[in-house]
Amino acid sequence: MRIRIADVTKQYVREGSLRTAADEPPALDHISLDIADGETVSVVGPSGCGKSTLLRLVAGLETADSGTVYYDEHDVADVPPQSRGIGMVFQDYALYPTMKGAGNLKYYFDVHRRTEEESRARAKEIADIMGVGFELLLGQQTTTLSGGEQQRVAIARCVVRDPTLFLMDEPIVNLDAKLRESTRMEMAKLLKRYGVTTMFVTHDQQEAVFMGDRIALLRAGRVVQVGSFDELYYSPANLFVASFFGSRPLTVLPATVADRAVHAGEVSWPLPAGLADRLAPGPVRVGVRPEAWRVAGAEPGQGAPMAVDRIESVPAERLTLAHGTVAGARATVVVPAGTTAEGLRLVPDWDAAAFFGADDEVALHTPGPPDFF
Amino acid sequence: MTITATRLTKRFGDKTAVDGVEFEVGEGEFFVLVGPSGCGKTTTLRMIAGLESIDDGELRMNSVVVNETRPRDRDIAMVFQDYAIFPHLSVRENIAYGLRSRRVATSVIKQKVPEAAATFRIDHLLRRKPRQLSGGERQRVALARALVRDAQAYLYDEPLSNLDAQLRHQAREDILALHQRQRKPTVYVTHDQSEAMSMADRMAVMRGGRIEQVGTPRELYENPVSAFVAFFIGTPSINLFEATLRADADDVWLEAPAFSLRLPPTTASAVAGRVGGPVTVGIRPEDLHPPRQAPFDVGEHNKFTARVELIEPTTAGSTVYLTVPGPEGDLDIAAGFTARLPDRFAGEQVPLAVDLGKVHLFDPVTERSLLLGAGAA
Repeated sequence: MRIRIADVTKQYVREGSLRTAADEPPALDHISLDIADGETVSVVGPSGCGKSTLLRLVAGLETADSGTVYYDEHDVADVPPQSRGIGMVFQDYALYPTMKGAGNLKYYFDVHRRTEEESRARAKEIADIMGVGFELLLGQQTTTLSGGEQQRVAIARCVVRDPTLFLMDEPIVNLDAKLRESTRMEMAKLLKRYGVTTMFVTHDQQEAVFMGDRIALLRAGRVVQVGSFDELYYSPANLFVASFFGSRPLTVLPATVADRAVHAGEVSWPLPAGLADRLAPGPVRVGVRPEAWRVAGAEPGQGAPMAVDRIESVPAERLTLAHGTVAGARATVVVPAGTTAEGLRLVPDWDAAAFFGADDEVALHTPGPPDFF
Repeated sequence: MTITATRLTKRFGDKTAVDGVEFEVGEGEFFVLVGPSGCGKTTTLRMIAGLESIDDGELRMNSVVVNETRPRDRDIAMVFQDYAIFPHLSVRENIAYGLRSRRVATSVIKQKVPEAAATFRIDHLLRRKPRQLSGGERQRVALARALVRDAQAYLYDEPLSNLDAQLRHQAREDILALHQRQRKPTVYVTHDQSEAMSMADRMAVMRGGRIEQVGTPRELYENPVSAFVAFFIGTPSINLFEATLRADADDVWLEAPAFSLRLPPTTASAVAGRVGGPVTVGIRPEDLHPPRQAPFDVGEHNKFTARVELIEPTTAGSTVYLTVPGPEGDLDIAAGFTARLPDRFAGEQVPLAVDLGKVHLFDPVTERSLLLGAGAA
């Protein structure tokens, strides 16, 4: 099923507040978003950005002040949540505590008078995908399950109902790191296998990238950008998007473009011809990713000196990182193994650097995805 | 100043929360206790602080036993997960609190508080109350209060877990900068292994009230003493699966249900006595390569085939999740590639080359490493 959110606005007015609607910023501010049939869209953003409100609105748990939510081509404004055919998983576990795990999975079939074989077969199929040990959980009373186990049963219970739309709001945020890793893999496999249209809400950019075919980044009730990881990471619409994605922080250098060069603090870097033609002279902010720096030669004037606080080696990624300050800005930089702190000089890799307005955050130039092959 | 824990033990009722833990934190060392929730790491930290009594064993600061020393006389500064700052006091008074309670002269306080605040970029907030601050700013108040004290040792209890990703990175660097300046023994507790790996001079992995292994991040990563440590350290996790050791002439092979791998001679001789028996095999995701990009020769002895389930883009390339059919359900495999695997490979069978020199082998029952000498544990 395809989901289309068309120009939706939602404003909460606190009861008893003297403030009028005009004073309160809207929770959702003219949001439009399309989720194709069978697609998983991750909705991500900092707390208070409206991502959970959006999910509740699609579920029918909130009503929009204006705008429309379509399931396929049907406006669902008058369809109550329980009739929408959706499966929902929230961050709090909501299992029937009086039942065993298997009972939780079969409950829907019992209520909807499906045959015993159908419910058993379906539960078995899900258990196979959920991996080793899952069937053991089904025999236990839910109150004796750990948080992670309960959530695995809750997710499975949701899929077993064959929903036309799957809505998940931070389903694994309460699990510890290792369990999160394996559970998100199980979820991804389930979604892939059943091809259920899914909206996945999270605050964690890495989880959003993992789960989503596409990712929608929200901020203050608006959609800032929707796209694949490559689009968001290499072609961010603005500085907010650029800073939000990436496991290590983007360095933002306040700078001026003049005389076909970038002047940042005490240093000047000549720009390659193509880039110099494209950028208008004036103040800018240059965004440089940790992996988008090059170590400059020893000759003076070749690069900006980095004041290094520490060198860190990351065995799992076969990386060495330098943490410190470049041209007055905090920077984390991927450097060749064996690099020492003294005399480290750096130049941005201009093929991978992004330029943003000095006053607004709008992208003036972005590098686009690198050629991996 | 050093901190030494000898057979440190804590019981709550009939449950032993900390069970004979031993470690030493050297002069100026940043020491991290890491483990899953309930492993005893926070209880250990609270015993060092004097917030929990010690049931058995000894805690020394320098060489003096401090088991019975009152918390305030241990001269330790501690930063908590929820910051523990006073809501009714201004930022200035929160930072000054420890100094005032120790009757430090007002003139000294007047000088030191703005200095400490400036270090953490909150000197413009000194008049504010905590509720007017963001989470990151509150955390920096707690850090400034710890810094201003000039304590003999620093303890941190999951100080970053309430911060979002962007702030966490900055706060991590702030804490390490403070440590660089003070050079006092520091014990830092976290459940996040990547935080531990990034910050620690040395770290201890805890499980069930005991320490599994102590070492530098690289030692724990490259030479884990147990399957638990191997699994706990590193994201995505190490691939662990069961195999049987089979001898063929002079070679020893790992027989997994769907593929075989030939062990290099040094590894083979370490497990020669176990031929015919089962082992747990551990292969890090980054030790699996597309054959053409492998930094070693690839043949039938170090290669297997798996079906691509999911391709996760990363800034360095991609993490590829694959499955190999097995007798008890599919075996899940994660591989870290330095190139981006194109989407058209999803659902396809692809060959994976194994860096056999980096394979880990564990006893399937005791979970202990078979490749490290017994002394390593």
